[in-house]
Amino acid sequence: MSADPHTLTGAYAVDALSDTERLAFERHLDACPACAQEARELSEATAWLGTAAPARPPADLWERVRTGAAATSQLPPAAARPGQRRAGRAGARGGRRFAALLAAAAVLLVAAVSLVALDLGRAGRPGRPVDLVAAVLRAPDARRVVAALPDGTGQAAVVVSRGEGRAVFEASGLPPAPAARTYQLWVVDRAGPRPAGLVDGGGRVTRLLEGRVDGTEQVAMTVERRGGAARPTSEPVVVVDLDP
Amino acid sequence: VALTWTRRDPSPRPVATPTARGDGDDPLPGLLAQVAHGDEDAFAELYRRVAGAVFGLVGRVVRDPAQAEEVTQEVFVELWRTAARFDPARGTARAWIMTCAHRRAVDRVRSAERAARRDDLAGRRDQGRPYDEVAEQVEAGLEREHVRRGLDVLTELQREAVVLAYYGGYTHREISELLGVPSGTVKTRLRDGLIRLRDHMGVHA
Repeated sequence: MSADPHTLTGAYAVDALSDTERLAFERHLDACPACAQEARELSEATAWLGTAAPARPPADLWERVRTGAAATSQLPPAAARPGQRRAGRAGARGGRRFAALLAAAAVLLVAAVSLVALDLGRAGRPGRPVDLVAAVLRAPDARRVVAALPDGTGQAAVVVSRGEGRAVFEASGLPPAPAARTYQLWVVDRAGPRPAGLVDGGGRVTRLLEGRVDGTEQVAMTVERRGGAARPTSEPVVVVDLDP
Repeated sequence: VALTWTRRDPSPRPVATPTARGDGDDPLPGLLAQVAHGDEDAFAELYRRVAGAVFGLVGRVVRDPAQAEEVTQEVFVELWRTAARFDPARGTARAWIMTCAHRRAVDRVRSAERAARRDDLAGRRDQGRPYDEVAEQVEAGLEREHVRRGLDVLTELQREAVVLAYYGGYTHREISELLGVPSGTVKTRLRDGLIRLRDHMGVHA
């Protein structure tokens, strides 16, 4: 190993080190912010070299990638690991508390409810929802709280970051909303429920909740007339309790 | 059935601090975050956006088309598996993805072809003027104007070291053998060359 590891940033960025050298240099990077910064910058430069010579992959490669990924379990988000235990407890408690409610809500899924609705339209600032979703999902304090959907159709989850003051609603196996209806999300605090966005259903959903969730205790989802309502008009399909 | 539409606990809680995020219009960090949560649609979109770059780089390093496909598949399965480990504070999503692709490609040529490459290197050294042939092979087809322009800001010595290492997948020791210069010199050329490239690109990650 070189006596002066500071000169290795370039060789590291182009993977010109042996495995042994690379591991040793990565230990050095942990202890040397200057080298770590330089290595990051040089890796951006080599990435540019890498993306500058694209080629078209064969058409069937995606199918192989998809199959391979389907058989591969994912690493958990490092930041969410402590929270996952809490999410499990909260989900179990919520499940007990709302068991009867969920049974009732299952009926509502197919019931027609006719009420005056306020078209929320673009109530939330459109902003860049994808960025905000990403910011929540990777926030160091992100916690994921799960709850079952009625009839065992699937699962709902809320990922909340108190630091970001935002939350993301996720659902899998959510049936499509009944004709002329939509699912509507609500954030609930001491002032009561506040509209937080519409969801179509029909499989997997990832939806940034509109507005901040600083005082939010619960996230609920109801079935409402298409376009949404200003206040909930039906019992919720699902309620997720957020731990403070 | 009563719904708890009101707050359960009246105790106050700390006010959260809004956090600014500066992702610009790059969709890759958001896609990676969604992939980390098992979002298959986001994974398909990620593939659509970067498969060409990954396959191009991997193919250049491993050279054999069948192996390039295998390695590209490995790279994407690895991205799927480790997406939660991407940390935007430590670099761009593009660099993270291309680093993963390059390392996988290099691993492949160094394991499967190690013996053959060592013999090859020894042969070239004995024949003299090894670099021209190797470089010709490595650079063949590297026609893209902006790559050429980027590499053109490097000195000839920096350029040969960077091209052999990055596109050829050679270690600094192998390059040292090829060029007949000490490996410390190769390390210096790689670093100086990439610093020049970085400054040319205005990269300050």
